[in-house]
Amino acid sequence: MRKLTFIACCVVGSVLVGCDSVQRTPNDTYMPDMAYSRSYETYADHSNLAEKGISYNNQPVAGTVARGSDLPFHIPMDAVGDTANYVASKAVKSPVLSLTDAQLKEAERLYLINCGICHGAKLDGNGPLYKDGNGPYPAKPATLVGDAKYENMPEGQMFYSLTYGKNLMGSYAAQLNRKQRWDIIYYIKVKQGKIGTAAPAATNDSTAMAKK
Amino acid sequence: MNYRLGNKIFQLFFIAVAFFGSVFTQVAYGQDGKALFSQNCASCHAINKDLTGPALAGVEDRWPDQKMLYAWIRNSQAVIKSGYPRAVEVYNQWNKVAMNQFPNLTDAEIASLLKYINEEAAKKAAGPAVTVGGGDDPNAAKASGQDSTLLYGILTLVLAVVALVLLQVNSNLKKLTDDKEGVVRLEPVPFWRNKTYIAFLTVILFMVGGYLTTKGAINLGRNKNYTPEQPIFYSHKVHAGANQINCLYCHGGAEQGKHANIPSVNVCMNCHTAINEYNGEKLYTADGVEVDGTAEIQKLYKYAGFEPGKPWDPTKAKPIEWVKIHNLPDHVYFNHAQHVKAGKVACQTCHGEINKMGEVYQFADLSMGWCVNCHRETKVQFNDNGFYSIYEKYHADLKSGKLDSTKGITVEKVGGTECQKCHY
Repeated sequence: MRKLTFIACCVVGSVLVGCDSVQRTPNDTYMPDMAYSRSYETYADHSNLAEKGISYNNQPVAGTVARGSDLPFHIPMDAVGDTANYVASKAVKSPVLSLTDAQLKEAERLYLINCGICHGAKLDGNGPLYKDGNGPYPAKPATLVGDAKYENMPEGQMFYSLTYGKNLMGSYAAQLNRKQRWDIIYYIKVKQGKIGTAAPAATNDSTAMAKK
Repeated sequence: MNYRLGNKIFQLFFIAVAFFGSVFTQVAYGQDGKALFSQNCASCHAINKDLTGPALAGVEDRWPDQKMLYAWIRNSQAVIKSGYPRAVEVYNQWNKVAMNQFPNLTDAEIASLLKYINEEAAKKAAGPAVTVGGGDDPNAAKASGQDSTLLYGILTLVLAVVALVLLQVNSNLKKLTDDKEGVVRLEPVPFWRNKTYIAFLTVILFMVGGYLTTKGAINLGRNKNYTPEQPIFYSHKVHAGANQINCLYCHGGAEQGKHANIPSVNVCMNCHTAINEYNGEKLYTADGVEVDGTAEIQKLYKYAGFEPGKPWDPTKAKPIEWVKIHNLPDHVYFNHAQHVKAGKVACQTCHGEINKMGEVYQFADLSMGWCVNCHRETKVQFNDNGFYSIYEKYHADLKSGKLDSTKGITVEKVGGTECQKCHY
């Protein structure tokens, strides 16, 4: 009987231990033929290429324009503490003159993915990261609809901010290509009532948010 | 008559009170420091934290002359040009970032702003509000998740022991009755030498052993539930769950190319130049160890080469070497864009409820059976999807009713189970 209790305890114990562990290492592989790539894949460490005398940096040549993409933005980023280029960007005109409904919908989708978390789905500067100051983001994002400063901001200056970042906002050049950035600015201008069909009044929107 | 007059006077009085009341509340609203602060200052300043501009707590103590502070708020550049030492000091200290001008703020408004700032600073100094953010105990959650298996296991064992004991008791009782009735029986064989028992045990061992061996062999090279430790404890539960950040914000490659992309440090720094502390619900690793979120953000700063309060130079950043969880063998081709953009498959279908994972684990086993099964069952979004417009015959058959439109077109029908679709 004692033996039995001992065995039972052992089994229960091992089951308990077995259930609780988190798998931190990958499983074994059996004969990994063709499982691992012999070519360099995305994120692979290619630091040993230099040792072999192969010159490779994963950057495009300066001045490269991808096929089918918009022409580059020629205004460079301001040095810290300078605003000359930021002001000069006001004169840049948007290459996007009109968008079809489908394109506008796509611009809205991109806005909601990339901008909405801070600037709000209603462009009221009250996205889920800010939430009237209750979210984790400490600074109030720009109120894109309802603030004269941003309603009167020229498209070129918005593009500058999207490309290089402004104040606490980072650069979105890595996440959105030039066309997408101009499309989003077009969408914002539509919502501000500056282009095309008038957007619904912003005051209604903000009260609707407040009621929630 | 008298009564009527009295009533009129009362009405007038009431209207007057209501009128003045509304005027006073409006005035009070005009000087509502909080509203003014969020409207004019909050983009660049916080009360207790340096953002684009300095933390404003104690701002009045730092400016010896209050008049100059008021002038600074209305037009900072003019004050700098006048050479006022405090103004020049602040300007240089903050990397010469010019503050916006607020020429329209009245004295009363600035006063109410400063009052609001002092109140908030005092609140903070009095001690942070104790926010008990329903820190759910992960062990409790885990226990409830595992309960059933564990319980059934223990129950089975207990029942097995009870059955054995009862069998022994039964044989003992039988022996007793036999002795009483005088039936002579052979000494009973102990159960570990009983041939039936041994045969039974062998069969069970064979079955269990076979099952485990087969399972182990199938699982070679598969990694369901693989939860590697990452260089930074990054919680998808916090980012994609609580803060509602879209998957594509960080993994934008998923709709553009083969890889979903691990975001580079600059994507993290879009928010984390400002968010340098974590105050949300308590964080736990998969083993149930508590994690300090603020310390994890500091780890990010180390990779980014960022020092809070200074402008960030992205060229100093070093990549974070995250551990890849979902690996397919090289002989299988998989493309994210094909599934996300053309197929319109949700991320969660293959990656599980990622917005509830503190630490990400591999949700699907990524076996070929799993792929093929999904390709057989999943209907493609055939209508209003430019990608499938070339399948003219299917479109015609669907229209004429030759193909059942309720059953739809599965991935298999557009060649999704052909070998060379994924192996070439």
